Amino acid sequence: MLGAFDYVRARSVEEACRLLAERDDAVILAGGTDLLVEVRNGLREPKLVIDVKAIDELARLDPSDEEWMIGAAVPLNRLAEHRAIRESVPALADAALSIGTYQLRNRATLVGNLCNASPAADAAPVLLTLDAKLSVAGPKDFRTIPIAEFFTGVKRTCLTDGEVVTDIRIPAPPQGLKTVFFKQQRIRGHDLAVVNVAGSYDPTAKTLKVAVGSCAPTPVLLEPTEATGSTAAIAERVVELAEGATSPISDVRASAEYRRAVLPVLLRRLVDRLLSERSGA
Amino acid sequence: MAELRYVGKPVARDDAIDKVTGAARYTHDLAVPGMLHAVMVTSPHASARIVRIDTSDAEALPGVRAVLTGDGLSYRVGLYMVDKRILARGVVRYHGEPVVGIAADTIDIARAACRLVKVDYEPLEPVLDPRDALKEESPLVHPDLETYEHAKGVFFPEPKTNIAHHQRVRKGDFDTAFASADVTLTAKFYNPPVQHVPMETHATIVQTLPGDRAEIWSSSQSPYTVRHLLSVCFGLPHANIRVHVPYVGGGFGGKAGLHLEPLAYVLSKASGGRPIKIVATREEEFNTLPSRQGLHSTVEIGTDKSGRIVALKATYVWDAGAYADYGVNVGRAAAYSGGGPYVIPNCWIDSYVVYTNKIFGTAYRGFGHLEVLWGIERAIDMMARKLDMDPVEFRRLNLLREGETTITGEAFTAGHGSPVECLDAAAKAIEWGTPSEPASKPYKVRGKGIAMLHKAPAMPTYTSCAVVIKLDEDGAADVLVSGVDYGQGTYTVLKQIAAEELRIPIEKAHVTWECDTAFSPYDWQTVASRFAYMGGNAIIEAAADCLRQIRDVAGQAFDVPPDKIVCEDGVAFVDGDPDRRIPYAKLALGYTFENGNSIGGPIIGHGRFIATGLTHLDPETGQGLPAQYWTYGAHAVEVEVDTQTGEIEVLDIATVVDAGKVLNPKLCDGQVVGGVVQGLGSALWEEFRFDESGRFLNPAFVDYKIPTAKDIPRNTQRILLENPQPGGPYGARGVAEHPMISVPGAIGNALHDALGIEFTTLPLNYERILLRILEQGDRG
Amino acid sequence: MTHEIVLTVNGQTERATVPASMTLLELLREPLHLTGTKEGCGIGECGACTVLLDGAAVTACLVLAVEADGCDVQTIEGEANDGQLSTLQQAFIDAGAAQCGFCTPGMILSARALLDRSPNPTDEEIVEAIAGNLCRCTGYEAIIAAVRRAADRIGGEGSDG
Repeated sequence: MLGAFDYVRARSVEEACRLLAERDDAVILAGGTDLLVEVRNGLREPKLVIDVKAIDELARLDPSDEEWMIGAAVPLNRLAEHRAIRESVPALADAALSIGTYQLRNRATLVGNLCNASPAADAAPVLLTLDAKLSVAGPKDFRTIPIAEFFTGVKRTCLTDGEVVTDIRIPAPPQGLKTVFFKQQRIRGHDLAVVNVAGSYDPTAKTLKVAVGSCAPTPVLLEPTEATGSTAAIAERVVELAEGATSPISDVRASAEYRRAVLPVLLRRLVDRLLSERSGA
Repeated sequence: MAELRYVGKPVARDDAIDKVTGAARYTHDLAVPGMLHAVMVTSPHASARIVRIDTSDAEALPGVRAVLTGDGLSYRVGLYMVDKRILARGVVRYHGEPVVGIAADTIDIARAACRLVKVDYEPLEPVLDPRDALKEESPLVHPDLETYEHAKGVFFPEPKTNIAHHQRVRKGDFDTAFASADVTLTAKFYNPPVQHVPMETHATIVQTLPGDRAEIWSSSQSPYTVRHLLSVCFGLPHANIRVHVPYVGGGFGGKAGLHLEPLAYVLSKASGGRPIKIVATREEEFNTLPSRQGLHSTVEIGTDKSGRIVALKATYVWDAGAYADYGVNVGRAAAYSGGGPYVIPNCWIDSYVVYTNKIFGTAYRGFGHLEVLWGIERAIDMMARKLDMDPVEFRRLNLLREGETTITGEAFTAGHGSPVECLDAAAKAIEWGTPSEPASKPYKVRGKGIAMLHKAPAMPTYTSCAVVIKLDEDGAADVLVSGVDYGQGTYTVLKQIAAEELRIPIEKAHVTWECDTAFSPYDWQTVASRFAYMGGNAIIEAAADCLRQIRDVAGQAFDVPPDKIVCEDGVAFVDGDPDRRIPYAKLALGYTFENGNSIGGPIIGHGRFIATGLTHLDPETGQGLPAQYWTYGAHAVEVEVDTQTGEIEVLDIATVVDAGKVLNPKLCDGQVVGGVVQGLGSALWEEFRFDESGRFLNPAFVDYKIPTAKDIPRNTQRILLENPQPGGPYGARGVAEHPMISVPGAIGNALHDALGIEFTTLPLNYERILLRILEQGDRG
Repeated sequence: MTHEIVLTVNGQTERATVPASMTLLELLREPLHLTGTKEGCGIGECGACTVLLDGAAVTACLVLAVEADGCDVQTIEGEANDGQLSTLQQAFIDAGAAQCGFCTPGMILSARALLDRSPNPTDEEIVEAIAGNLCRCTGYEAIIAAVRRAADRIGGEGSDG
């Protein structure tokens, strides 16, 4: 038994928000792959677990013309196997597939990965480069949080009591957008990131966005760069920006020294992959 | 010898059907009526004095049936060194040591009760580095070491030190030879502690019964050793203890000896004889149950100008952890084989098994050998470079061969197999001498490496085993053994031998799956790649015993002497007159004539085997005969390294083992491939991480990474040589441990080939590789 | 705090009263006595408890029993049909893919889910499907071969069973 909580299968977002606000120590259960481990390990002792998987709208995965919507209950495998996602934003599929094991991804969700707010969250860097926003339902009203404002520290977000993330919205990717995700692990099998990076390049606007994970208390979006000049020069600019924006630490997974050494390598490879085929490069 | 019908054939595993259907029942799966569940409170400190334990709230929790602390338990347990308490008493000696045991109606109640236990500790300065532990000013992990029982004449604890055992090997005159050597090398190496990681964690059920009896189910490699050690510990007659071993989900040495059984025993006593089940959590498997101990080695080698080794000295300092019940034997084995498979005329080895405040060590597949050969095989490569010799040539020049002696004075004969053939086969397998193909990216490089391996079963000089064969009404044979098949496939091999020797169709040979000390005959422990050898010999003898009885009865039936009876295909017939025949089915329980008269009786054969000719090693010189047989082999690898991230991939790995005789190629294959991947774990990823206070940082799969299906080599070659072993069943030797032994050494050597860097510390993880590359770049 | 649930396990309807915090793994192993599903770590890292939940491979240690209310669950005990081994099970035997056997049920269910969604998988897909199932004995090669063999046989016969 995983502690002594009660369970409710919420039927609507309103119900979930209400329960979350009313009841002490209530938590949202989507995939459960982080929550149940934390409960097992005694790190959390919820009294009520509110399952949101039965709320129809949270199960929506809807890439439409203007805005793509990924519901909070969509498991990672479903997301990664979605044709439009794979074709238009392959980095998002790659990041999703780099999380945990196949079995875990049949439960774990993109929203859960973000709400857990690990500095190493694999989905975060890609979503940062895609200007994703989180739709949040609260006890009183709805709000939208740009992902760049969502993380406030290690395992901390700007969500307040009673707020539930219902989905993630991504502006429909512009024509020709290139996205890449790279992750350095300790082993090829399932692992948390030692360093993860993501980038998107819009060939029309000629802008390059890069984000870095596992190298600061939160995933970090670097200042967007204009993709002009040689690929190598752009890469060095990105590396410089990243070095200014991150502060890797040593932990059981890697030393700060190793993270500092690998980060520029991944960034150079990322920029190269994004820009090497650009016309006029 | 007539052509073999079953031995040497790729017979499928006997147990596979239970395993693919979920029908195989492991200790994890068992329940006994009235069973309670027990959980341990473990120490959060590496070293501390226990000031006070308050269990009153835990005892008051409804559903709690027994709460025990070390204070009530005066027993000590241990296999070779009797140095361990069932629950910590007075002090705790490692992070994870059991302090309180609680039995309750459900596991949830037991866990809740554990959270109610209050233990006050006074942290003490922990002893964390075994090299510091050897210093005079070091705190003592066991101040009362001299009072501990131990295997006398075999192990030599040094009172008022942290040395649980010091094994010496002295051959020739090292100092003089080294001083006059033309070329010398000194190098230091390190292996961290690692875990066995059986997929089934340790589990046991113990029920104490009226009349000082106990019945035990355990995920154990050694039912008779469990029985014996419990008998010694609690002063019970052996016959009062019955140990069952059902299917076991992996062992690799970690389930040899005694583990959770004593705690379950005392909790059963304390709860009025209720059966107690304890299942280690994965975290406890890492943190509370034993590991492979770490090793600091120093290797010194001297050669003459031609490259012949004239002297070798090795100092092994083992990080035994808090208890050395099994670790002392690892240190012993590592000494007598601690020079590698080479001719060393002047040898000096010191192997110190040193107590520290860490998780304690035990046997782990190939014990002692992966660790020491990491240093030796790296040092051999370094030495070859100093001599400007090809590492394969250097090895070939120095390998043991007929007419030479080992470092403990054992004569090397053709019956030992051929280390040189192993080397050559390994070199050929990776096209040694031909440069690697260019790497797949400009920032990647490739390299090749080779390393030798050897190991003999490390076991007492009197190690023995027995087999019983019963014939069934239908002429089939039931084989009873107490060696445990926890995945190796030994039972299938025994079945093949039984069918071969009894001359019955293989479908009619059965090895009984559950070991039970009440019915299955004695076996020491299933460790050290010895069971196919010893059990195989015993089964040949047991089958001969059955055939003698069959011939005797059939001879009477046909009124011919027993030696005129031929046995074939489950039928006994008169030589030269095959129409006068009786199927075994009609002899199995006794033969009945047409008139109803009967002769004979149920046929039961027995066979046995005991190690012969082994001697204790001389305490001062280590000279003697420690090994029933040796198995030699080699690994050769080709790797590719990403020089910017340190990521390493094994492109190709060849494993050569001189098996003597391959009894079942399919099962051998499984041992080789599985061993290689386990060796890869030790080589590239696995290590216990501790903080500066000795707390264990990675007791879960999140941060203790073992190879997955994505981490296997691109190509795995297995080459099994068959230079027969005199005395081995059909000429076979043990092969189960060897495929992992020199994987680290071969990879370390390949990394030098690829990068020009000498790696001396395991694991060779991406971080270590990259940081060394960067360090070299800074220097160069 | 307890919940009445109804689910289908290996084709049979099961009703159970479960505490909210009971895992699906506990439900299967204890009240339902389906001990073929193993616990190797309890945190979804080893795959020993893999079962199919509405056809999808999941680790039963990270699913609450109450979450499985109304679902279809397949465990290793449901893989053989009336005592007849499935092609996949037979392939595991023939390829020597089981050693100690503790990971085998989870491994087979991961492979079963793969073959159900992708009857003719590439080697890469096979590896991806089983990489979440740790095995300490075999070195995986025989397991990958077993799945390959099963896929080929099923492809040849047109159906499993």
